[in-house]
Amino acid sequence: MTLLQERPPQHEAPERRLVEIVPGPKSKGLLAYLTSTDHKQIGVNYMVTSFIMFLIAGAMAVLMRVQLAVPNNNFMSLETYNQLFTMHGSIMLFLFLGPFGFGTANYLVPLQIGAPDMAFPRFNAFSYWLFLGGCITMTSGFLTSSGAADWGWFAYAPLTEAIHSPGVGGDLWLVGVALAGFSGIFTAVNVITTVFCLRAPGMVMFRMPIFTWNQLVTAFLVLLAFPVLTAAVVLIWADRHMGTHFFDPTHGGQPILWQNLFWFFGHPEVYILALPFFGMATEVISTFSRKPVFGYKGMVFATLSIGALSMGVWAHHMYTTGAVLLPFFAIMTLLISVPTGIKFFNWIGTMFRGSVRLDTPMLFALGFLICFLLGGFTGIMLAEPPLDFQLHDTYFVVAHFHYVLFGGSVFAAFAGIHYWFPKFTGKKLDERLGKLTFVLMFIGFNLTFFPQHDLGLRGMQRRIAVYPSNAGWNFLNMLSSIGAFILAASVLPFLLNVWVTMRTGKKVGPNPWDGMTLEWATESPPLEHNFEFLPPIRSERPVWDLNHPDHTTLPHGKHAHQVALLAAQRAAGANVMSGGQLTGNGGAPGTTVGPAHGNGGSHDGGGAGDGDHGTVEEA
Amino acid sequence: MYGLVHDTLLASVLRWGSPTGVTQQDSNVQRLWDVTYYIAIPLGAIVIGLIVWCAVRYRARPDEDRIPRQVQYHIPLEVFYTIVPVALVAVLFVYTYQAEDNEDNVSPNPALVVRVDAFQWGWRFTYPNGYEVIGSVATEPSINSTSLPVLTLPAGETVQINLYSDDVNHSFYVPAFLFKRDAIQGINNSFDFNIDPSVAGQRFVGECTQFCGTYHPYMRFWLQVVAKNTFSTWLSEHHGLSTTVSEG
Repeated sequence: MTLLQERPPQHEAPERRLVEIVPGPKSKGLLAYLTSTDHKQIGVNYMVTSFIMFLIAGAMAVLMRVQLAVPNNNFMSLETYNQLFTMHGSIMLFLFLGPFGFGTANYLVPLQIGAPDMAFPRFNAFSYWLFLGGCITMTSGFLTSSGAADWGWFAYAPLTEAIHSPGVGGDLWLVGVALAGFSGIFTAVNVITTVFCLRAPGMVMFRMPIFTWNQLVTAFLVLLAFPVLTAAVVLIWADRHMGTHFFDPTHGGQPILWQNLFWFFGHPEVYILALPFFGMATEVISTFSRKPVFGYKGMVFATLSIGALSMGVWAHHMYTTGAVLLPFFAIMTLLISVPTGIKFFNWIGTMFRGSVRLDTPMLFALGFLICFLLGGFTGIMLAEPPLDFQLHDTYFVVAHFHYVLFGGSVFAAFAGIHYWFPKFTGKKLDERLGKLTFVLMFIGFNLTFFPQHDLGLRGMQRRIAVYPSNAGWNFLNMLSSIGAFILAASVLPFLLNVWVTMRTGKKVGPNPWDGMTLEWATESPPLEHNFEFLPPIRSERPVWDLNHPDHTTLPHGKHAHQVALLAAQRAAGANVMSGGQLTGNGGAPGTTVGPAHGNGGSHDGGGAGDGDHGTVEEA
Repeated sequence: MYGLVHDTLLASVLRWGSPTGVTQQDSNVQRLWDVTYYIAIPLGAIVIGLIVWCAVRYRARPDEDRIPRQVQYHIPLEVFYTIVPVALVAVLFVYTYQAEDNEDNVSPNPALVVRVDAFQWGWRFTYPNGYEVIGSVATEPSINSTSLPVLTLPAGETVQINLYSDDVNHSFYVPAFLFKRDAIQGINNSFDFNIDPSVAGQRFVGECTQFCGTYHPYMRFWLQVVAKNTFSTWLSEHHGLSTTVSEG
């Protein structure tokens, strides 16, 4: 485990606070990829690998849209189409979005809380290798004679029984999911331990950036959901190979049991795939509006309640089975829209009266807001059982979850990539290519998926490789396919951008965006153990406080009158509260005590008290 | 003419184009669509309007180095945007509950009970007098084929469907009825239709919506609505018979 030296006395030099526990020369290139236990290297490994999986699954989607461009098409066989939609969904959910989120957690959570590494560096590397094993195993189904799994990403029993799906591709799918599942569980353990044990002095829970908060809640959801999936996958394996009958109705098994087990994982999974990306969008919107996150604490509670509610809504995927208590799951699902709505108002409030810079990351964040809003509204429609009876398993649902997972998560992921790329590499992506990426992606995405709402309302069921020419679906499908090509094309300027920037981009220094959180306090890319020096942490924006000591967060409500008083104190050079503040922070290794008046999470003058919570690792 | 204009305006302005169906049960669905649209469309317009307005109104000019007021909390506003969504959700839930209750209500003495069995890949419709329609997918089916098994149902009466599956999961879906229900082994599903007499003589397409293997897209059927009085004659003519259709 990454250990922190016993806290040095206040007068000692700050850089001796951290202890390197993986000594030796730093390797580079392939050797670093293979051997590193540095959270940044592992984070990059995760992000690059999962992005390659994104490209592969995206190519599959383009092939499917070619098949569906015209009615009664035979561009590909039914079997091929069924494998493609299964693997497209499985890769996007198990091997791209989730692991991409884990990659950003690996890279950014330790930086944002001022930690030298993740809590368990070797365990962390192990998680990555399990994930890579999962990628290779699941996709290798295409190399077998019977092809990859073709039962859809939620693998409904009894279609998964050996008698209905005898191919070995299915077995590879099960093993791939189990490997990815273990990888996720281990990463979650690591993230939670890191957040609870390795926060820098002064970094109390309510000073953690929203991104880190969201990753923490995500990690708890992973711990609750993934073991259920992994166990359920083992049960299918047993049914297929060991003669058990968990889901086999001909011997008294219950197919509906699989649906309950799967969606008990599957719905928290949706938030596992969404919350990290909400966090990215939040950071981007705050930085590019040059304001603190509006309603920070409300947003944290919204994230926590989304996490809590998401554990009790799984059966809204099963309304049409006739086997669930509809009112309970309907109200739980509708209630999730409340914290999600709060987040929207937080984002709007952050931009309100800000100084909004429309750079590429912010454009993607705005695209995220608009697309995810539409996905949220269609989600409310699907949460109402009578409407779901009409819409379930039609293209309306396909449109809905692409608006949530692509319009929401992927747009936010691109916002995050463009935002943190200077931190990852030291170089800023080209703005013109970035804006081209955004425009193409926004147009392509909406053209692909907006018509699918109407297709669903017209009765087009999902997962069909062919459709009749007289059903009134031809034009909308063609439109959707054209959009898919534009969407696919939008990735090209991005890849070009990365290539060009890596080769010829100029170094931009540690903090090119005027970022507010701790990751911007260190070099770009960060040093091996992240920080030579930490600024004093007195709010959730330590770097902003350091750079703009005259523009710290304003107190609110009845405390607002203190602003003038504090300004006067500062002008007089009197650090009235700074003594108590520094002690409370357990010796924050900063020398600047400028804005030492307990703002941020401690407007009530409880700066010292808050600081006590920040010293949990003093055991 | 006035009536037509009035109806069209009413339909487009007040219903926002939400779907209409042809059974008594789906009038619940229609009303819920209306309520949802009443809430969602204005709310969506406000939120998107705010997002766009903030991005345009407060955008920074190039090279502008303005630092805005660092406001973080506004408790009354935060309470407001928490309570209003809760209230909206409560309203929506009441309507949802009512609609769902009505739609799922199963009559204790329906006029007709038809057993529907779904299998890989086709349908079997069994009437109380033993008449059976079996349709299964041909070896080389065509998706444009119109030779599908026909489920004949009377209009203006309570018809109950008992839905079963022979093998994997399927789903019985009639888009025009705005309704579907899954066929899963181990679960006995029953539901009612009261088809509007005005659509007697019309034919609607039915589909399987739960992915069920290779020929899933071909698993379709016709739902033929006939008038109440002609239905009983039709049924007695088919007493004890069986019709087999090769789909496509």
